[in-house]
Amino acid sequence: MAEKKFGLRNRLRKKYNHVGRGFILLLLTVFQFFSTLPVIFSDGTVHFSVWGMFIAYNVFEWVYVIVMHNIFKKVNFELEFIAFFLCGIGMTIITSIDKSFLKTQLLAVVLGVIVYDILLWFLQDVKRVMAVRIPLAVFSILFFGACFVYIYFVSGPKNGAYNWLKIPGLPSVQPSELVKIAFVFVGAASLDKILTTKNNYVYICYALICIGIPVLMRDLGTALIFFFTFVIIAFMRSGDVRSILFICAIAAAAAIVVIFIKPYVANRFAGWGHVWENIDNSKGYQQVRTLIYCVSGGLFGLGVGQGKLRGVFASENDLIFGVVCEELGMIIAFFIVICFAIIAIYAVSNSKSAPSTFYSIAACSAAAMLLFQTSLNIFGITDLLPLTGVTLPFVSQGGSSIVCSWALFAFIKAADVRAYPKVFKNN
Amino acid sequence: MKSTTKRAYVIFALIAAFFAGLGIMMYNFYTHGGEWAAHRINTHIYVNRQLTVAGSISDRDGKKLVSSENEKCVFSSDYYTRLSTLHVVGDSQGYIPTGIQLLYRPELIGYNFINGVYDAVVSEDSVDVGLTIDSEVSKVAYSAMKGNKGTICCYNYKTGAVVCMVSAPTYDPHNKPGDINTDTSGKYDGIYLNRFISGVFTPGSTFKVVTAICAIENIEGLNDRTFKCSGKYKASGGYVICNNKSGHGKLSFEKALNVSCNCVFAQLADELGNKKMMQTVDKLGFNNSVEVSRAKTAKSYFDLSDSTDLDRGWAGIGQYTTLVNPCQMLMLAGAIANGGEGIIPYVVESSSEIISEAGQINRNMKLSAETAAKVKKLLRSNVKNYYGDSKFPDLKMCGKTGSAEVEGERSHAWFFGFSQREDFPYAVVVCLENGGTGYYDAIPAANKVMQAVLREEIKK
Repeated sequence: MAEKKFGLRNRLRKKYNHVGRGFILLLLTVFQFFSTLPVIFSDGTVHFSVWGMFIAYNVFEWVYVIVMHNIFKKVNFELEFIAFFLCGIGMTIITSIDKSFLKTQLLAVVLGVIVYDILLWFLQDVKRVMAVRIPLAVFSILFFGACFVYIYFVSGPKNGAYNWLKIPGLPSVQPSELVKIAFVFVGAASLDKILTTKNNYVYICYALICIGIPVLMRDLGTALIFFFTFVIIAFMRSGDVRSILFICAIAAAAAIVVIFIKPYVANRFAGWGHVWENIDNSKGYQQVRTLIYCVSGGLFGLGVGQGKLRGVFASENDLIFGVVCEELGMIIAFFIVICFAIIAIYAVSNSKSAPSTFYSIAACSAAAMLLFQTSLNIFGITDLLPLTGVTLPFVSQGGSSIVCSWALFAFIKAADVRAYPKVFKNN
Repeated sequence: MKSTTKRAYVIFALIAAFFAGLGIMMYNFYTHGGEWAAHRINTHIYVNRQLTVAGSISDRDGKKLVSSENEKCVFSSDYYTRLSTLHVVGDSQGYIPTGIQLLYRPELIGYNFINGVYDAVVSEDSVDVGLTIDSEVSKVAYSAMKGNKGTICCYNYKTGAVVCMVSAPTYDPHNKPGDINTDTSGKYDGIYLNRFISGVFTPGSTFKVVTAICAIENIEGLNDRTFKCSGKYKASGGYVICNNKSGHGKLSFEKALNVSCNCVFAQLADELGNKKMMQTVDKLGFNNSVEVSRAKTAKSYFDLSDSTDLDRGWAGIGQYTTLVNPCQMLMLAGAIANGGEGIIPYVVESSSEIISEAGQINRNMKLSAETAAKVKKLLRSNVKNYYGDSKFPDLKMCGKTGSAEVEGERSHAWFFGFSQREDFPYAVVVCLENGGTGYYDAIPAANKVMQAVLREEIKK
């Protein structure tokens, strides 16, 4: 069975090599060139600096793939191509909304790629991973807690939530995005060897803190993402359905208590399913406009820059899916989000042949985290789920989000037997 | 290791849920797309809360009733056309919930699932909608209402095409009264309602036709019976007073309907009982609404479940708590004329974008051809032997008047009926709120409208 699959994979790889990295890169470049044209030639002038940055991004893609293939002997780039594609669309849209976003976003993508490759290199050695997991767990909690305290007492809330770290002179950062990386890392690593109860309790405590801090920050979306990822990790580690159901029941009870003591939580949910009765207040304003402008775009979109949703608050991050629907059309928008499902399938199939359970759990939980966040985002703004204000990975504006998404890709990639060429050869 | 691999399949549950969500989302986009895209907060198509990129709406002669010009909504240039067609066409801001401008926005703005609003916004290619309404007849109908509140509607009972549907009070959309939302004198009461679609009124004697249908279907030898009217009918608990206080004396069933004798119909309702009366009312579709070109009609109200014998007597002559919708009465007239089949009225002509709405039968209206023929005879007898054919020249009219008592005010003047002419299959309903009596006020209005329709038909 395994033999046969491996054979198939080999065949696919051969076939894939025929198609060629160059061809796919060319497709990406052509797509990005044409989709950015309306941005470059907007407002009756030519925005050369914007054009320059988009060209730089494309050159970066080419150089990255060439260097990685020829010097570091990497053989496959599926994940990177998907991420480049998503980041490219995201940059096109957010630049058309506000040109000042591009520089930071582009830097974040480059930083994300660097983080991705460093993390990927680091994950190669499981011993190294095991050695840092406890320091990382402690550090991430201290960091998260310190950020919360600093935001709460010093820098103050942004849009009613305490999830933005603003230190004067530095770009603002969303600490929860960085903690996500540690959360997957620690979760996947800690129970690799022994499934002792004590070990489990320690991890549950860690998870509780990671879920609790976003709740205090009034960032429900992030808390949900942490909780969901925790459930996936806990299940993959123990396979204990009963305990998981028990945890979920406790979480539901806790959620009900929170709703009673924190009215802002209930408020968030008040609009859910009733957005059409709240078209002019905060309970439904964004969702209703997202729905209206999504369908206004039809399958092929009205063209970049022709949309109206861009005028609505948070169009460049929370509502970006709606802007893509309206301006590039439903086909591209749906393709973007289906990418995350494809990534999840890729992660599951890689996890089967991964050399250690750490890789399996890390890949699956990272992919699940991304897909869950995507679901929260797109179903939240279209009123299938409550609106929680999370970003669409890779596409939304926001440096921390981009870097975190790339880092999560490292976990998925690490489970691929081809990720580490030498190890692969030795096998 | 192996078990971990198996557990990885839990991710597939998430993937499945994700695709289910996408499916629901796509389904919602597909089914609600038109409604959403046409929403008044969509700034692609609404500027300053005015529908700006929509196609035009024309009457059956191609006269523009409303169109979008230079990002503005422009109505007909004729003042009385604007007044008399307002409730059918609707206003540009969507205050009139049953207006075509509102209900057919997806088509008017050229929305479709594949291109969204692209056609309207980018290629400025919106769709025009044609109506079955005749603006000349509408103007005649509006003037025939003589400033009363109420509604007049006339339609072809074989196809369902409405030639005029006028509701008052109305206003000029080019010059909307400033005090329209603040006025307390009542002159603008329900001004945004199309009374034909959304109104319900006490039916008065027009409801005797329903009682007659129930009697025809349930009482044998009705035509051989002789009734006696002494001016009031005694039911347990009180009296139903007749419109002729000194009594009609001895009369047949047909004669009783001609003179609209309250005593006879109260007696018949009493004889029939609550159950049978309610059954007939239900069978005739009074408890259901229909869609007149997407506008949902108001349900009529007839309930005898807790009523006394006296209440039933009053209900049998269209009083008590009974309320009927004018469209329901028009369809009843149509069904009687059409051998039992009530055709649902429509106002929007079919086109490449709009599926034909013509000739749809109201399945909730069950009237046998036999009963319809009998009632038709009775209604013809009303006009021929009592109101006089001179009231409706050249029309071979059938119908029934009503003067519905309303507490403390003038009665509602009703008439509903139809022409028996084979070449002129039109039915009409007139309901003038506190407008006087059926005979003196509703009949002349009905005739004016029918004559106007006839003139327009001859022209063609």
